[in-house]
Amino acid sequence: MRVTMRKIHKSFGPVEVVKGLDLVVEDGEFLVLLGASGSGKTTALRMIAGLESVTAGQVLIGDRDVTNVLPKYRDVAMVFQSYALYPHMTVFANIAYPLTVRKLPRAEIDAGVKDVARQVQLDTLLDRYPRQLSGGQRQRVALARAMIRRPSAFLMDEPLSNLDAKLRGYMRAELKHMQHRLGITTIYVTHDQIEAMTLAHRVALLEKGVLQQLDTPAEIYNAPANLFVAGFIGSPPMNFLEGALVDGKFSAPAGNFGTLSRASRAAVVAGVRPEDCRVTEPSSGKIVGKVYAIELMGDHTLVTCRVGEETITVKADKSFARPDGEAIGVDFAEGAVHLFDKSVGDRIR
Amino acid sequence: MTDRTESRDLMRRLFEAESLETMALAPKIAVYAALGAWTLVVLFPLYWVLVTSFKVEVQVDGGPFYIPFVDFTPTLEAWNFMMLQNNTIGPYLNSVVVSLSSTLLSLLIGSLAAYALVRIRFQVKFAAILTFIGLLIAVIVAVAALGVPWPAATAAAIALFLLALGTFVRRFKAAVGNNDIEFWMISTRIMPPIVAVLPIYVMFQHLGLLDTRLALISTYTGVNLPIVVWLTRDFFAGIPLDLEESAEIDGASKFRVFFTIALPLVRSGLAATFLLVLILTWNEFLLALFLSNANAQTMPVLVAAQNTTRGPQWWYMSVLIVVMIAPVVVIAAFLQKHIARGLLIGAVKG
Repeated sequence: MRVTMRKIHKSFGPVEVVKGLDLVVEDGEFLVLLGASGSGKTTALRMIAGLESVTAGQVLIGDRDVTNVLPKYRDVAMVFQSYALYPHMTVFANIAYPLTVRKLPRAEIDAGVKDVARQVQLDTLLDRYPRQLSGGQRQRVALARAMIRRPSAFLMDEPLSNLDAKLRGYMRAELKHMQHRLGITTIYVTHDQIEAMTLAHRVALLEKGVLQQLDTPAEIYNAPANLFVAGFIGSPPMNFLEGALVDGKFSAPAGNFGTLSRASRAAVVAGVRPEDCRVTEPSSGKIVGKVYAIELMGDHTLVTCRVGEETITVKADKSFARPDGEAIGVDFAEGAVHLFDKSVGDRIR
Repeated sequence: MTDRTESRDLMRRLFEAESLETMALAPKIAVYAALGAWTLVVLFPLYWVLVTSFKVEVQVDGGPFYIPFVDFTPTLEAWNFMMLQNNTIGPYLNSVVVSLSSTLLSLLIGSLAAYALVRIRFQVKFAAILTFIGLLIAVIVAVAALGVPWPAATAAAIALFLLALGTFVRRFKAAVGNNDIEFWMISTRIMPPIVAVLPIYVMFQHLGLLDTRLALISTYTGVNLPIVVWLTRDFFAGIPLDLEESAEIDGASKFRVFFTIALPLVRSGLAATFLLVLILTWNEFLLALFLSNANAQTMPVLVAAQNTTRGPQWWYMSVLIVVMIAPVVVIAAFLQKHIARGLLIGAVKG
């Protein structure tokens, strides 16, 4: 079902952690709330779940205003970072809990648990207790418990962050597959941009309780709405150069180059992603710098070079090798340059 | 560097306990001897009570006799009298009913209160409390001195109280929080019980409940509530909040969360609390002495009653003490495995 947040504010005492969040999550959509810690993403999720009261604004699930409705009447299911499995119950009882509290007939509960347990490959572990399971298995119990009820929406609070890297990659694919198959609206909180990029239909990037950009992962990556988004998304992060813009020509101490823009501004920041840059001879580069550090990452090399007071990172071929201090040119296409207003931070078209 | 490790080794040799398994033979024997001696000290009174229950007056007053069949001929006379001729089963049943029901009641009410104190933030306005006390005094004065019928006085007071809550109480900032409430509860145990005995006696006299099990059960429940709250609140505070929130989202009411999630998770703590409160009520003497007479008499009072005009009847007393101790030992042994169990392992994280 569609989940709507209208001008949501949340304060803890004098501290405002969510400031006027406006967000519509369409039916069946996988939306990722992305942000650093303290950005208000978890608080926003908890307000949808009903675990946190709303200071001002409205939460709607479908067409129903649930702003002041108890969690148990909201018909949402939540997966916690800690999994929150009931330690004194077996896997079966854990998965069955949402149905047991609804006093469904025994046979129906049995069939329901067996069905979801099969879907997450837990059918042989139903008699175990959570303490006897591995991290990945616990995670799947938490998922099964959320799935069994066919809720209006799934809420997930960093569900993969307690898994090791390998398992996390596997569960990410599983989650995506499951969400597509069930078609249930999912709101997923994470600080991990890879999870956001790979899982989401749309990403909502939050910072200090304010929505920075709401868009598809591709748009967020290709056309960041402001300096914060540009710096947050991408690893290694985007290179920034400060300078001036005259009729779309960028000029700075580090170098001068043309852009696709036609605008003029006195103070702008130009951003270029490391993967859009390539190393050239000093004579043909848009920028000339000196090699500062070289890091071999396996399939590529990160070359950091100093340009005046600033540093620029270039993603280069894995065979790249130059002595420190040598002058190199950095080249990139005009279309790869992102321009931002320096004082406001907004993107310049 | 060497100095420090050496001195640490010395400290360790002097003060750190060594495992009995790795100990050399001589110190091992010394340790076991010391432990054995202390065990004797602890067990001797129990043994003394047991053998005394098989003695008659002469064998007690005629000097210390320790070993049955060698020192003296054991008889079942005291047991015979206490079990068959004297009414022991009545007080025994009273003790069982009163301690079990008051312990279970105070555990139920106390754990609910403790849970609320842990999970709900209370902000009771100081002005509201003062208003309540003021109105309470006014009702008492009106009923006792002015002859106002009590339903009318109470209704008027409640109406005034609600009115006060909605109006002038709101203007005051000072409030009591959860810590204050907890302290107030435990502070009721600071006062020696003898202070409250007379008012409690008079209250039950007016209610016509003197010498009933109900009077004892309700008094014990009230007296032990603070202990239960104080002990169980820490157990509840140790439950990860995620578990309860998850249950709420899964569709459980607050009460259901309490009974199906919180309570089972603290069951080891509850078992320990149950045992403690049970022992307290089982052995309680002062209140039982005042509130019971013939019908509701409990075992501790019966034991004390064996100190008669003919002097203390040690042999009868011993019989009673043996039958009093037995069930508590059994329950303690049964609950042993529930107490001290890491139930929360595996609840959170991988």
